[in-house]
Amino acid sequence: MFSRLAALLVLVPSFVLAQRPVIEISGANFRPMPVAVAVPLTQDEGARAAVAEFDAALSFDFAACGLFQVLDRKGFLADAKEGVTASSIQFNRWTDVGAESLVKTQLSSDGASLRADLRLFSVAAGREELKVSEAAPLKDARRLAHKLANAVYKHYTRETGPFETRIAFTRKTPSGRDVYVADWDGKNAQRITNGDVNVLPALIPGGGVAFTSYRSRKPFLFSAQGGGEPVSLIAKGSMVTGAAFSPDGKRVAVSISEGENAEIFVANADGSNITKLTDTKFFLNTSPTWSPDGKRLAFVSNRAGNPQIYVMGADGAGQKRLTFQGNYNTTPSWSPRGDLVAFTARDERNAFDLFTVNVDNAKVTRLTQDAAGNEEPVFSPNGRLILFTSSRGGSRGLHVMTFDGNNQMALPMEKGDFTTPDWAN
Amino acid sequence: MSTNKGGGGRATLSEINVTPMVDVMLVLLIIFMVTTPLIQQGVKVNLPETKAAPVEASDKKLVVSIDVNKRVFIGEAEVALADFEVKLKANAKAQQDKEMYLHADRDLPYGIVVDVMAAAQRAGVTNVGMITDPMGASKASHDKDKDQK
Repeated sequence: MFSRLAALLVLVPSFVLAQRPVIEISGANFRPMPVAVAVPLTQDEGARAAVAEFDAALSFDFAACGLFQVLDRKGFLADAKEGVTASSIQFNRWTDVGAESLVKTQLSSDGASLRADLRLFSVAAGREELKVSEAAPLKDARRLAHKLANAVYKHYTRETGPFETRIAFTRKTPSGRDVYVADWDGKNAQRITNGDVNVLPALIPGGGVAFTSYRSRKPFLFSAQGGGEPVSLIAKGSMVTGAAFSPDGKRVAVSISEGENAEIFVANADGSNITKLTDTKFFLNTSPTWSPDGKRLAFVSNRAGNPQIYVMGADGAGQKRLTFQGNYNTTPSWSPRGDLVAFTARDERNAFDLFTVNVDNAKVTRLTQDAAGNEEPVFSPNGRLILFTSSRGGSRGLHVMTFDGNNQMALPMEKGDFTTPDWAN
Repeated sequence: MSTNKGGGGRATLSEINVTPMVDVMLVLLIIFMVTTPLIQQGVKVNLPETKAAPVEASDKKLVVSIDVNKRVFIGEAEVALADFEVKLKANAKAQQDKEMYLHADRDLPYGIVVDVMAAAQRAGVTNVGMITDPMGASKASHDKDKDQK
């Protein structure tokens, strides 16, 4: 008996490891995993108020990340009172709705904080695969959900999920445009500026945001940290736009207009030691974006007659054209995975749509089509998702899709005129 | 009950005439016979016996059962007939396969079976496998089951 138990103890962990599925996100055979996300259970009155927000955030994370097909709850067959442990779950009822995995959460509260226990089950095996418990202040129910969703994402992909990242964007106001920083799903938005016209926000690695503001006489680069008053970062030439911080946060690339032309400059993150990288009289060079290793920059230049994407070293050496299709390619964003640059292109029907170009072989892939105008793509910090603006909902709103253009979804935000998103850890 | 006695065909028609509905459905639905042995279901149903050549059943398909008390089940979960269409429409398995097996008791009125099939068709499930008992072949095993219980 003892020897058998010992044998089991040795066998079980290796068996579990071998059985653990890893979702391969890229590749032609990728199919989203059908997941049933059960309504969170709670016995505490205090936690009840947080259930809806928690549930909405968790469900959106699963639906928008592209890994999963979140099953429609209207089809569920299990008892509403079904428990959260493997022994109390009738797995065949989940099989019958097509679920391959099942997520159950239980919320509890002591009045000030909210505690969530998430269990992930493999439906076919009838087994608990993952159990995570986290707590957060009661008002941060959504952040708590993002944390748990990240644990599930990591379980399946062994990569860090995008759910605890932050985004920046601008929103039109009656008098101009303001910069906001928000959670990845556009919720918990904090207004950074107050009045004037503020555009092209760039998140600073480690915290804070930089943006071009008309608050002084000319549009120059400002930065704001933790709700503080914006301070001037770079004031040079007649206009400073398109700031982008290097992945290590030590340098910032910008486009500075002087006279007829605009050139790419790189400076230290505090604006010092500013160096000119491009020198093309009478042409515009804008929208720099860093490669993940910080050694190269992609940018837009009209030196060939119309705007195209170019690549160069971070010191300005080896400037090379990357896109040769179309006659209007702008707003590049270099994938943190390194292989792709996403950009906006005006196609032959004068529609704005999103494409990626492979940095190594210049292969262009279309991501959006026939869904109103789509512009200003930016990759998630893990390179799996692209945030962009689209006018498909009537007004210009923020949408997210996978890096290959699948699973396009609007962020759960109120309507407004949103532009130029950025995305960082 | 007795009011109808010798009514000379003037009685009110109190039931839906299912014949035209069945006509339409036979066109829209692909119906095939499925043999029972592969299907292991928790719902107790006496199956009709047929001589029709059966199709090999797959135990991965969604099974909809109707027991002799007219209770409808998706898998083993009982659902109200009114909710059946909504449940099926939101069911990823049914929507992907566009197929289900109907496991209905042979003593049921035709009308209820047709109601379920019509709801399935509205929900987009166009292939319906009728689970039958090939000439009592499984009767022996049924009896064996009973003995075991």
